[in-house]
Amino acid sequence: MTEFDAVYYDGRTSARKPVRVRGYTLAIQIVGEGLRLDVPLGKLRVDPPVGGTRRALHLPDGAQLQTDDHAAVEALFPRAHALEGWVHSLERRWPYALAALAVTAAFAWWSVVDGLPLAAKIVAGFVPVAWEAKLGEQTLGFFEGRLCRPSALGAARQQALQQRFATLTAGLADGYSYRLLPRDCRGIGANAFALPGGAVVMTDALVKLARSDDQISAVLAHEIGHVRHRHGLRMTLQAAGLAALAAALFGDATSITSLATTLPTALLQRGYSRELETEADDYAFQRLREVGLSPKAFAEIMLLLEKDHKKRSGGESRDYFSTHPATAKRIERALTAP
Amino acid sequence: MAVPSTDRGAAGNVAGPEKRHPVEFTAHAGEYFRIWIVNLALTIVTLGIYSAWAKVRKRRYFYGHTRIDGEAFEYRANPLAILKGRLIAVAAIAVFYGVGYFAPLYQWLLWIPLLVGGPWLLVRSLAFNAYNTAYRNVRFRFEGTYKACLKVVLVYGWLVLFGILYPYFKHRLIRFVAENHRYGTTRFEVADFKKPFIGAYANAYGLGFVLIAALFGLGFAAMRTKSPLLFPGGVVLFYGGLFLLFAYVRARTTNAIWNAVRIGPLSFESALRARDMIWLYFSNLLAIAFTLGLATPWAVVRAMRYRASKTTVIASGRLDGFAEGQAQQVSVAGEEVAELFDIDIAL
Repeated sequence: MTEFDAVYYDGRTSARKPVRVRGYTLAIQIVGEGLRLDVPLGKLRVDPPVGGTRRALHLPDGAQLQTDDHAAVEALFPRAHALEGWVHSLERRWPYALAALAVTAAFAWWSVVDGLPLAAKIVAGFVPVAWEAKLGEQTLGFFEGRLCRPSALGAARQQALQQRFATLTAGLADGYSYRLLPRDCRGIGANAFALPGGAVVMTDALVKLARSDDQISAVLAHEIGHVRHRHGLRMTLQAAGLAALAAALFGDATSITSLATTLPTALLQRGYSRELETEADDYAFQRLREVGLSPKAFAEIMLLLEKDHKKRSGGESRDYFSTHPATAKRIERALTAP
Repeated sequence: MAVPSTDRGAAGNVAGPEKRHPVEFTAHAGEYFRIWIVNLALTIVTLGIYSAWAKVRKRRYFYGHTRIDGEAFEYRANPLAILKGRLIAVAAIAVFYGVGYFAPLYQWLLWIPLLVGGPWLLVRSLAFNAYNTAYRNVRFRFEGTYKACLKVVLVYGWLVLFGILYPYFKHRLIRFVAENHRYGTTRFEVADFKKPFIGAYANAYGLGFVLIAALFGLGFAAMRTKSPLLFPGGVVLFYGGLFLLFAYVRARTTNAIWNAVRIGPLSFESALRARDMIWLYFSNLLAIAFTLGLATPWAVVRAMRYRASKTTVIASGRLDGFAEGQAQQVSVAGEEVAELFDIDIAL
């Protein structure tokens, strides 16, 4: 027989009544001032244990017993909650908590390094090209007018560059509508960027920086690589996934602490973009060979861009290098590309 | 069984000497850390399904450790119901963000159902949470109707467009939320808290104005001197300032609301201090950032303990006399969707 102290509530008011409860095999007996109640065990519902919080036994008609005598409740209702009883036993011991920590850390690590990029790649596969193009249009709308004006290059020069771009994109047949958009973007410097859906923006400054048109082709091939591998879309999806993951893991605290996850998230984003740059580089090397050019042109333009960057550094412009892998490494890869 | 819908319940009639009951919060960071991390790991292993149980266990832990007059609160939601709600919520959020990413031009169309549905979500969510919260075996209830909530949003919601009038709208909304709560059959009465509530925002707006002026000054200085330190300085000033204002508004408005609430013979005293809150939030932020999130449970427990330590229930009658109302089921979908959309009016 189990016996324990409890507080009894009748289910009609908030009045508490201290009682003594005696537990038998098939029923419990509740005895208090002016109260004597027998309740069959089958009519009782007990809440699963959580930490050291008080246990509640729900009686028929909304009445309730509350007690701090955990041992007595366990003795009366052994194995009342298969799942949560087991969880409770995990939560009570540090070794299990540390094991849980290991599982969580491993998952977080895997998600960030492999899981999210992989998931983004898979999800991107389900996104129709038309949707992607729409995403690109939005981004383009941001650049046009605000940061960039139509190119100041001569018509013949532009014609020649379009010709080169056409050679690079000829026969790709991947559903993207490739377009080269030469633009005069003063604040951005020598740069080129690919937008989801096939638009490639190239600044006049880049054209002027290049010593040969093959070097321009090398940059364009790199940007085409971004389009083909759907990097814009994948970055967007990865950013969303990362934000969701951070919110799921640490969204517990007050909203202001979500600031704490902003910086690490931004750093991880940069890591991602570095990986994507390498992927685009590889594509560029391969494509340059296919159209009869040498990846060496890529190495040359990288050197020029780096020099240009060093000259202009200190300015607040979005530069080509902040999110790119170490240039020396990229140049080396271009020179040793098969 | 019909329950008379009395305004103050039985408790209002019982007079007695005034008694102060400080709110006790007895949770331990270590114990909660274990619950938190096991919750996370099981959620991962079960591909998210366990998250419903995790939510219930977390709430039950915190409610169970919040005590007034020695008696703890109870959270009674059924994890299966929460799981169902979550599935609905995830579907809704997927549609919303999917459209947002791939057709942002059409996303504004989704704001229409959100504007019409928002009040519904808010009302359902409050009803679910209130119904599943009990103290001394008497449930809370939320009896605000969708129509009344929509009315508040439509009549005062446009004030949001004039940023400076937003506090008035928020005050109306909180008044609506508070007034429609009941503890058992006893209605929450809310005295006028317009003055301290809006006053807190007015001060914050004033400080914000000073902050913006300082930032402009810094911007000019940066253009003149081209000092490399001025830009990061501006960023620190901006975020630091926002932080101060957030904590200040949080402390003052919470006090304003709770000091105005009465439940039958009970009134409340909330004495949160802005400078304590600033330090609390700031140190929590640092702790979470430097432990890669592992300090989250500690930070949460600490914030709740502070809040409890500054809250007192003043009883001019006995806590015994509150009557339980009629049972009625409240569905969960609203609560989960509202949570994911971050629709939350905290009291």
